[in-house]
Amino acid sequence: MEKVIEIQHLSKSFGTHEVLKDIDFTVNKGEVVCIIGSSGSGKSTLLRCINLLERPSGGMIIYNGENILDEKHDIHQYRTKLGMVFQQFNLFNNHNVLNNCIVGQVKVLGRSKEDAKKVAMKYLKNVGMEKYVNAKPSQLSGGQKQRVAIARALSMEPDVLLFDEPTSALDPEMVGEVLKVMKDLAHTGLTMLVVTHEMAFAKEVSDRVVFMDKGVIAEEGTPELIFNNPTQDRTREFLKRTL
Amino acid sequence: MKRKLWMKIFTILMAMSLLLGLGAGSARYAQAAEVSSDIVVESADGSASGSEDEFRVGMEAGYPPFNWTQTDDSNGAVRIDGNKEYAGGYDVQIAKKVAEGLGKKLVIVKTEWDGLVPALVSGKIDAIIAGMSPTAERKETIDFSDIYYKSDLIIVVKKGEAYEDATSIADFKGAKITAQLNTFHYGVIDQIEGVIRQTAMDNFTAMRVALEAGMIDGYVSEKPEGVSASMANSNFAMVEFDKGKGFATAEEDTAISVGIAKDSELTGQINEILSGISEEERTELMDEAILEQPASGGNKTSFQWFIDIMKENGPMFLRGAGMTLLISLTGTILGFLIGLLVGVIKTIPMPLKGAGRTAQKIINGLLSVYVEFFRGTPMIVQAMVIYYGSALAFDIHMNRLAAAIFIVSINTGAYMSEIIRGGIVSIDKGQFEAAQAVGMNHVQTMTNVVLPQVIRNILPATGNEFVINIKDTSVLNVIAVTELFFQTKSVAGNNFRYFESFFVACILYFIMTFTVTRILRHIEKRLDGPANYNMITNQAPDEDTDSTAGQA
Repeated sequence: MEKVIEIQHLSKSFGTHEVLKDIDFTVNKGEVVCIIGSSGSGKSTLLRCINLLERPSGGMIIYNGENILDEKHDIHQYRTKLGMVFQQFNLFNNHNVLNNCIVGQVKVLGRSKEDAKKVAMKYLKNVGMEKYVNAKPSQLSGGQKQRVAIARALSMEPDVLLFDEPTSALDPEMVGEVLKVMKDLAHTGLTMLVVTHEMAFAKEVSDRVVFMDKGVIAEEGTPELIFNNPTQDRTREFLKRTL
Repeated sequence: MKRKLWMKIFTILMAMSLLLGLGAGSARYAQAAEVSSDIVVESADGSASGSEDEFRVGMEAGYPPFNWTQTDDSNGAVRIDGNKEYAGGYDVQIAKKVAEGLGKKLVIVKTEWDGLVPALVSGKIDAIIAGMSPTAERKETIDFSDIYYKSDLIIVVKKGEAYEDATSIADFKGAKITAQLNTFHYGVIDQIEGVIRQTAMDNFTAMRVALEAGMIDGYVSEKPEGVSASMANSNFAMVEFDKGKGFATAEEDTAISVGIAKDSELTGQINEILSGISEEERTELMDEAILEQPASGGNKTSFQWFIDIMKENGPMFLRGAGMTLLISLTGTILGFLIGLLVGVIKTIPMPLKGAGRTAQKIINGLLSVYVEFFRGTPMIVQAMVIYYGSALAFDIHMNRLAAAIFIVSINTGAYMSEIIRGGIVSIDKGQFEAAQAVGMNHVQTMTNVVLPQVIRNILPATGNEFVINIKDTSVLNVIAVTELFFQTKSVAGNNFRYFESFFVACILYFIMTFTVTRILRHIEKRLDGPANYNMITNQAPDEDTDSTAGQA
């Protein structure tokens, strides 16, 4: 299998507090990986380290055979290859829906406005938001915002899409619409890395589940293995608490 | 759509101020050609100093009968430099004779009383002919010519009150008396036994208002002012004193001379010319001036006055308002840009180590000094320091309008930079992260995502600054910028109707600030758009892609 991102010995500390300890982890092309674990286990920090919103304290992140933590590496270029969907949506408040999906393409990728608009409209249709192109973020519901955020990330046509608890800030009745979009995406063969508390989603959609605890990867494997036959006690305890 | 709106509003505001302020300027050239050419000299910028064949004379143009401002060239009045008004009076007639004797063109520079000596010292004018006495104090800084007028000290009082019948200064025991700041008039008040000396006042206008309002019982001045005041306002009377009963004065005080820069060769030449004007001729000129000075209007009501003032001085008020709007608008825009630059630089994330960190720390330090200094000193003081200081220290003679805009801009910039820094800090961290996540660098993040939001959020604060600037440009009268307050003072100094004249200014200021506030509120509403979104059904998406980013 082709590796998209390979992480070796990654560590991250905030002051003296060590959040990630010696993480080794690989994402393969076309794979949907869900990261689960209790709050404070380091799963969001791992995701934010991968696209360098947090600077790792040590280790390597290898992308296309290069360690992107090298000083000379162009991190802006690298980030365009990773789409990011945030828990709090973080749509650009000053742009309407269409511009949210266009501004990155035009300013960062250098695409023409016409091309960018075509791409944006394609993905806005995918997430069912094509009728809201002129709406401002403040006029949308949480679920709609998150769908636009997904379209914005897709418009950059990244190699991997990172989701940081995409449904945690949503009202319960809006979770479904976002998960459905994510399921559809998973079936298209997109490489996805999802930090989530939605166990049913992880079970149904992911190719591989990673369970994190206290800054380390405690256990990883197929959904069947993790959810039905976990080998570790702490995995069992966590699942007992959440399911 | 939105960009068009911005442009429209900007264009309207610019056009308004240009029409009012500078539009008058173009008319001025046309008229200047018609006025007798040996007197009127117009330098293009209205303030460049020191051309060899010019004789630049500073005066208040608000101290009748010595000097005053009028709207035409009747009675031998001379156009005021960089202005559409004319100066008349005894000083102007003397100045004409001196200029003629020197073989130079006379240029009248209208300057506040307190700005006269600095203007002379810094070379912005060649001489002060402004009813100024050659006191020992002044002689330390400037030279004086021989005396060209001599007068006695009197006290202006309210008619019908006890002090009207006074014959000796001793009669003013217990009276509240004041005089003009920085004049010897104020010093002699102590000669009255048991007097209640009041705080000195800036100008005659203020003292007349205070007297009329009963805040003071009288003010000390020289005879010509006494004659003018009692002629202009029937409520005023002048108390003269017989020899021995009045104030004891030194000749250098009651005499009036031309102020000239120290060790100037002009002194000798001017003395020679003055000696050619006989005593009779001087008395005649003064009598004429007293007759010609702007007169009182009899028994008109306040409302009639109000109408007449607007009719007669309408253009003067409008030019003043235009100048005020031009300075405050340009100053606010430039200040906003300065603030934007400073605010953005101050919020650049600090590198953890290296030369970049040191450089950034130094730059931030300098910017803090700038902000603290200009926020921590009054604009009126900055105006004096910058305008006169630049001429004294570096021999830079700033155009008055440019200096005014410069002062307002850097002042606004200091305030705006803190407002903008606060605006940037208050933007949700998620906005920065989302921008970084699509691969934007710091500049792209700022221009495409953060600043447009900051600008929307600080629009009310910016509007505040604009409104404050409209009002605060009034302090620029100290460097003789002909904005609304300065113009109003001239109008009131001529017609002695202080309440009515300043009431007109009051209304004009309010119209300007209110209009600006409304326009900004409208912009805010347009930027925010409606709270609800109507789903589009068939039509293509709006074509205003990227419009908000364009604002940055």
